Amino acid sequence: MRRRHILGSLLLAPLLTACFASGGGSDSSGDAKEGSRLRVALAFPPAENLSPYGADATILSRLGVTEGLTALDANGAAAPALAASWRRENARSWLFTLREATFQDGSDVTPSAVAAALTHATEAKPAPAALSGVTLTAQAAGDTAVRITTTAPDPVLPLRLAGPSLAVLSAKAYDDKDRVDPVGTATGPFALTKVTGSTSAALDRYDDYWAGRAQAFGLDVRFIADGTARASALRTGEIDIAEAVPVAQAATLDGATRKETATTRTTSLLLNSASGPFKDAALRAAAREAVDTSALAEGVYEGYADPGAGIYGPAVTWAEGKRQQPAGRARAGDPDGMDITLATYDNRPELPEAAQVLKQQLEKAGFKVALEVREYSRLESDALEGKFDAFVLARNTLVDTGDPVAVLAGDYTCDGGYNIAQLCDRNVDRAVAEAERPADAGRRQDAAMAAEAAVLGTDAVVPLVHQRLITGVADSVSGVLLDPYERTLVGTGTRR
Amino acid sequence: MAALVWRAALAAALVCGIGLLPWLTRTDPALTVLKARSADRDPTPQVLADIRAQLGLEQGPLRVLGQWLGGLWRGDAGRSWLSGEAVTPAVLQALGASLLLMAVALAVAALTAALICARTLWLGAHRRLDGRRAGGSGSAVLAALPEFLTASVLATVVGVQLGWLPALGWYGPRWTVLPALALGLPAGAVIGRLLDDLLPGAFAEPWALAAAARGLPGRSIARQAVRRCLPGLLPNLGLFVVGLTGGAVAVEQIFDIPGLGRTTLQAALAQDLPVLQAGTLALVLLAAIAAGLAALTTRLLVGPALRDGALSSLHRRPPPVRRILPIAYGLLLTVVVALGLPRDPLALDTGERLRSPSVSHPFGTDALGRDVLARVAHGAVDTLVLALAIGAAALFTGVLLGLVPRLSGPLVDTVNAVPPVLLALLVTAVAGSGPATPALAVGAVAWAPLAAHTSALLRQERAALHVAATRAFGAGRWYLLRHELLPAALPSVTRHALLRLPGIALALASLAFLGLGAQPPSPEWGLLLAENQPYAERAPWAVLAPAAVLALLGALAVSAAGGVRLPRRSWPARTPEPPSAEEPSPTKELVGIR
Repeated sequence: MRRRHILGSLLLAPLLTACFASGGGSDSSGDAKEGSRLRVALAFPPAENLSPYGADATILSRLGVTEGLTALDANGAAAPALAASWRRENARSWLFTLREATFQDGSDVTPSAVAAALTHATEAKPAPAALSGVTLTAQAAGDTAVRITTTAPDPVLPLRLAGPSLAVLSAKAYDDKDRVDPVGTATGPFALTKVTGSTSAALDRYDDYWAGRAQAFGLDVRFIADGTARASALRTGEIDIAEAVPVAQAATLDGATRKETATTRTTSLLLNSASGPFKDAALRAAAREAVDTSALAEGVYEGYADPGAGIYGPAVTWAEGKRQQPAGRARAGDPDGMDITLATYDNRPELPEAAQVLKQQLEKAGFKVALEVREYSRLESDALEGKFDAFVLARNTLVDTGDPVAVLAGDYTCDGGYNIAQLCDRNVDRAVAEAERPADAGRRQDAAMAAEAAVLGTDAVVPLVHQRLITGVADSVSGVLLDPYERTLVGTGTRR
Repeated sequence: MAALVWRAALAAALVCGIGLLPWLTRTDPALTVLKARSADRDPTPQVLADIRAQLGLEQGPLRVLGQWLGGLWRGDAGRSWLSGEAVTPAVLQALGASLLLMAVALAVAALTAALICARTLWLGAHRRLDGRRAGGSGSAVLAALPEFLTASVLATVVGVQLGWLPALGWYGPRWTVLPALALGLPAGAVIGRLLDDLLPGAFAEPWALAAAARGLPGRSIARQAVRRCLPGLLPNLGLFVVGLTGGAVAVEQIFDIPGLGRTTLQAALAQDLPVLQAGTLALVLLAAIAAGLAALTTRLLVGPALRDGALSSLHRRPPPVRRILPIAYGLLLTVVVALGLPRDPLALDTGERLRSPSVSHPFGTDALGRDVLARVAHGAVDTLVLALAIGAAALFTGVLLGLVPRLSGPLVDTVNAVPPVLLALLVTAVAGSGPATPALAVGAVAWAPLAAHTSALLRQERAALHVAATRAFGAGRWYLLRHELLPAALPSVTRHALLRLPGIALALASLAFLGLGAQPPSPEWGLLLAENQPYAERAPWAVLAPAAVLALLGALAVSAAGGVRLPRRSWPARTPEPPSAEEPSPTKELVGIR
């Protein structure tokens, strides 16, 4: 009998261990290293097996695994990364000169390797977001340069190439036909060593990184979707860096642990200008005047947001100086108890709260508001079809390419693919088309701000708040890269 | 054999239902998959077409389903539409974590149930039970505790503030304690309450008296009494096993456990059908195994007695109820509602947010500065009426289907095994998203435990001596049912139904994110709990107030239900009139002897 018990527990032990999640890969490192590995909690678990062509690309770029030819600097301009410099040869062709760098598998970053990586990206289905609407071909040009040509003139190509989905990986990454493998094939300061499904990942620093070795020995990453759980993990000292702490949990962290960054994410109230009550510009103006944005920034976002100034918020550093006052706005009409439906989604916990505050503000102005809150994927198609009169949306205003005009074209023009406001206005279309033309960054920004003023002039969108990102960083950790574009987090200088 | 075929047919219908889900609800899987992969991505026609091609959706639902089923024979459940990874290992991994969590939670539940029954067991073993009524309010309060509330309180207080146990993760035995507590306490409370309900009957049986007279120690009498009552509970225990494995979504989220609940929830939202089908199939299989084990154990425990019809009824006339308790609870609830009704539940003032209780706001304010007392009071009517209506419908259906266990047994297991979100989606697919859909979706599962309970009790009751006696006097089936079987089972099942009322209110709120049920800013109780959960640490009153009234509702329901009994037969006018049935159960004789 006794023997059977022992045998049973011997059999049971491995079975039980198999039922637990394996730790963040810390077992792969020795004790001496343990002290200076960083433990990071990310909010979004990899959805596509860390494929570089989808949203998981952001994870790779935030962890310092992958790099593209270019990167975004603090002002949203293209900065050198794997390409040391570039020049525009003609309207359709650009020449990027590479720097000397090596892949994490030891091979050199050659022009042909870069061209192959970019070609793989263009062939991906669905195409990476940064490549939507363009067709490009990349070819090696000599020993140190890559020539990229586009079928139509693309003035923002260097910005586009900074997109995380256009990261450069070595030939080994593409061995498997079905998926791209970023483990040990990228060029960044940290190399993935082990990925455990969507729960954790382990990274070691890459000693031969072209910009110098990282100070941290490695990263142990956990993907914790629940915001409260991320904050708790930071408070118990289980992790060093917690991404995206929800506003509701910010107060539970010490002041020194909370790091705020203005982001390019703007929460706005979109008014359906094609059908329903808000077809009337006077009622849209009435809604705009009813909204008190500072009550939202203080009352709902607890000060972790700036009151809405325009489509672009303070994170877009050049926007404030170039902002134009919207002209030709309609005079506010009398809502007179008009029934409207206001929809939003609960994937971001602040949005339903903001919608409830808005409901009260609009009702004070004379509207009658019914709320509709759903999970985002259950809401989007209805919103795009214009089934709601008003919609509260948090939108990244420098989508995918880092180009300010893209969001205007997508969201507010007649042909826009994401036009929840159902806006179709000749002035707006003209202003946006105007803004898509210039290649020079400064002139492009001027034109974008003129287009912003045209959009705001229709009152189809009321900017509510510009959200700030709260990153929890343990006191002992320094050098975390707080990036308004949410593309970097850990770099060579991050350490404990 | 027939049962096996029926079970297989149900499982097949379920898998096919899932396979057709996107086409039934007219929700494009390409869109939901895209949004789950990357929420910011614009759904341009080109992108959607690429995803459709990638997933092979153009072939139509039947081909897709057929291919998946074809692979299933080889143990290959396809590749996830979301990540492209093989489904089988991922689901097995999640199932392992969930099974372990369930096992530990079940241990906690057993402990809780033991504590709840301790008083009855002790009194019964010492033959002092007569005329005393078990309390029950405590267990009712415990059963009404929302899992996510217990979980976040445990994680914050024990995990973060005290630092005694890890607050999140799933890396070893130490990590299992807190989640198991959050899951096991309410489950144990329900099981303990049901057991406590049956124990007095067992102690009143002749063998117990004989054993006491023989001088057997109270311990062994108590053990035999538990053994005697267990068969009535086993089917429900089986349901808990499956429910805790697949339905622990909130706890898995709070403690970051890579379990099956989260996996299936994500798959249901993204319409990742291969994962959803595999996960559901695993749960249905588990349900079949649990049901089989329950049946086997029942046979081991009371098999010969069942076959020979040698059981005595576990149900005796309950002793007088303490009328004071339900009145006190009812009064308290009424006072809270009456105080809150004159206040405005919707007036928000963000300057007054998260204020602690004071004279002007007796229950404090919530995250938007609304008065919590007003919201609790105004939500009471909606919540109570709907929960009661669903509860009554579930009781009716449960008892009705409990009468035909051959038909309902596999149905109960299958329905119980389906993840609640999936069930809501399936109901929406069939019924559309009308105002009655959330009630239908919750009602569609709520009857299952009641049916299981009814059939388990009836099965024993049919083997009782008094039924055999009545039958011997020529009573027909209908007469037996109306006068012998139902009166014996109904009170217990009704008390069970009432015990689950708070759970129904919570389940209703958990569907809100699909756009079903109450929408903010409605003060429905489940919604109140959900919207204040993120602030549980900073403003505990905002969650504690609705949780407390919910618990009060549970206590009220259970203590009032102590009086639930059906009028037993009226003797003189009945035909056929079985003389010996005058004493329907030997228990009564015994009481007389003593």
